[in-house]
Amino acid sequence: MDRRNFLKFSSAGIASALLGSTGLLSWAPRAEAATISKTFYITEGFITQPDGVDVYFRGFSPSTNNLTVPGAQMIVQEGDTVRITIVNTLGTSHSFKIDGVVDSGRIYGGQTRTIEFQVNKAGTYMYYDARNAPYNRLVGLHGGFAVMPKGSSDEVYAGSPNFVQQYFWLFHDIDPVWHNSIRNRRTPGTTYSPRYFTINGLSGRPPGSAGSGDPAIDAMHDPLSALHGHIGDRTLLRVLNAGQCQQSVHTHGNHMDWLTDNGQIRDEIWSKDCIYLEGNMGKFDAIFPFAPPPDAHPPVTTGVYPMHLHTEMSQTAGGGLYMFGSLTDIFFE
Amino acid sequence: MGMRRRTTTDGGGMDGGGGGGGMGGMGGSCYIYPATPATPGLTNADVTFNLGIDMQIPLTMDDGNTINMWGFTDNGGNMGMDGGGMGGGGTFPSPAMRVTQGDIIHTNLNVGMMWVHTIHHHGIEPEYRSDGVGHLSHDVANGTYTYQWRPAHAGTYFYHCHTNTVLHAEMGMYGALIVDPPEGPGTLFSGGPRYDVEAFWVVDEIDSSWHTLPWDAGTCGGDVGLNELNPDYFVITGVDGSGDSAMNTPPISATVQRGQKLLARYICAGYHPQKIRFGGLTGKIYASDGRPLPKPVSVTEIRACSAERYDIIFEPTERGTYLIETDIIHWVTGDVLGTTRTSITVV
Repeated sequence: MDRRNFLKFSSAGIASALLGSTGLLSWAPRAEAATISKTFYITEGFITQPDGVDVYFRGFSPSTNNLTVPGAQMIVQEGDTVRITIVNTLGTSHSFKIDGVVDSGRIYGGQTRTIEFQVNKAGTYMYYDARNAPYNRLVGLHGGFAVMPKGSSDEVYAGSPNFVQQYFWLFHDIDPVWHNSIRNRRTPGTTYSPRYFTINGLSGRPPGSAGSGDPAIDAMHDPLSALHGHIGDRTLLRVLNAGQCQQSVHTHGNHMDWLTDNGQIRDEIWSKDCIYLEGNMGKFDAIFPFAPPPDAHPPVTTGVYPMHLHTEMSQTAGGGLYMFGSLTDIFFE
Repeated sequence: MGMRRRTTTDGGGMDGGGGGGGMGGMGGSCYIYPATPATPGLTNADVTFNLGIDMQIPLTMDDGNTINMWGFTDNGGNMGMDGGGMGGGGTFPSPAMRVTQGDIIHTNLNVGMMWVHTIHHHGIEPEYRSDGVGHLSHDVANGTYTYQWRPAHAGTYFYHCHTNTVLHAEMGMYGALIVDPPEGPGTLFSGGPRYDVEAFWVVDEIDSSWHTLPWDAGTCGGDVGLNELNPDYFVITGVDGSGDSAMNTPPISATVQRGQKLLARYICAGYHPQKIRFGGLTGKIYASDGRPLPKPVSVTEIRACSAERYDIIFEPTERGTYLIETDIIHWVTGDVLGTTRTSITVV
């Protein structure tokens, strides 16, 4: 184990690192394809969970002395060339893969590898470590990756319904026993039993709890997770599942327009308040319309509502602590 | 009685949506937000429901075991008695609400001193203080709160408690919520299909090991096992569905004549995913989650996740009895944990 990189991180350090990622809320299309370069450092450490338990993770991090889970969100454009440099600071082999797009192959411990690939198909993707599947992905080596249609700032695929802002909702479920086995370079031998549940790496912190309202800790106030919009601010949700659990993604306040399912454009767009999210890298795209909540009387245009997984076990931490799991808030401003 | 007084929340700090105390692990309840404010914009209602709480609802399963359920009663106007949860009268599931699109609805929830609960009308999207989400507004305690809402879309919904939801909804604190179009029952939505017969398939799983927990279990921390739902009973619309109890039991089962249209309102009320199969019949999904589909879809089975609803119309042409089976599927392994059964009889 490389002690220099074996750090203990608070959630605060993670989210602030995420904030340094690529443009999220708006996307300016380019007429010309570009080369996008990004360096990830594969690091390890512990992240303190809501019940105070430190859990081992590895991440695609922005520097050697940092641990970021999930890795930074990336948004590129069809036709772009993406150049990813992976610096594996650990003693174990890892990889960088985007299904259907690129696979770095084995990157040995201590090795640095640069891969270059062109992105040709708009959509929502996960980058992840495909080695030792699913363990390296589960232990934290994953992140969100989006390809915008060429020349478009407001579609998820060419001709899709329009949006004005976009978010990733990357869900994860965590079994600390498995993480500890992976830390010790053993294959987990126990039945998978997730005890922590996150959205974009963070858990909820309800009002009155330590860290509540702190955007670096509280998923309900994380600017990458919590939706903020005015009426008409149609918001694309790029929903990804790095964990093992099948989930039900449920919004209050508005139904979602369900556009894609596991990378496939749906024949018809359904208006849903719950959308099935498969485990093991399931994904979908939906638009939260920020329409006036239809059933309010008298009518309203402002308010705050939750998004939570309706697979309610995922709303807990450490076997209890309801609301310290995978949820965030939606602010009609 | 299995009742438990709140211990850490009776003091200060809980008003105005403040925090619910720390995580001292000393028991009691945390991160609840009890209050009974006035409802913003309160106007006269076209329809009013008065709901109370019952925390002692015995449910006898096919194996003879009795499981304790929690639920809402429809006699919540009886302040201080039934509303306190001691008067009984509860059923599992809780009483169905049936309303008409466009009506102004009041759901008055009366909660006694012993517990904290809310009502979230799932799929209904009202003003946020009528949405029943404690951390964003308040939980109802020791009084009556009026949820005001005006359903804009006909369809199938359900309502459930949103306090310590992981536990309270699993304990049975839910009921069906049907919004009829102005045309009334018999039409799914304005401009949509008509139906002659209606069936209600509300499929849920029960982990009996959760059913001795107090209402605030886990809220202050400590491992009470709410991350693991290992169901040992499987119910459909309040009836043990693993055997024959839900067969020939309208309105779970249905009998239809050839040429008639049956509307099945299917609600995935559990947490684990489900797959419902129609025993050889083909149905048409006309709506889901209270919204018409752009085009109806013909199906012989449906995969559903927690809290999804599907409105399926059957127009059977062949006499016979058709088995409607719903598998409850483990959210990680995909294993079938159990199956509920009911039937459609075509005469």
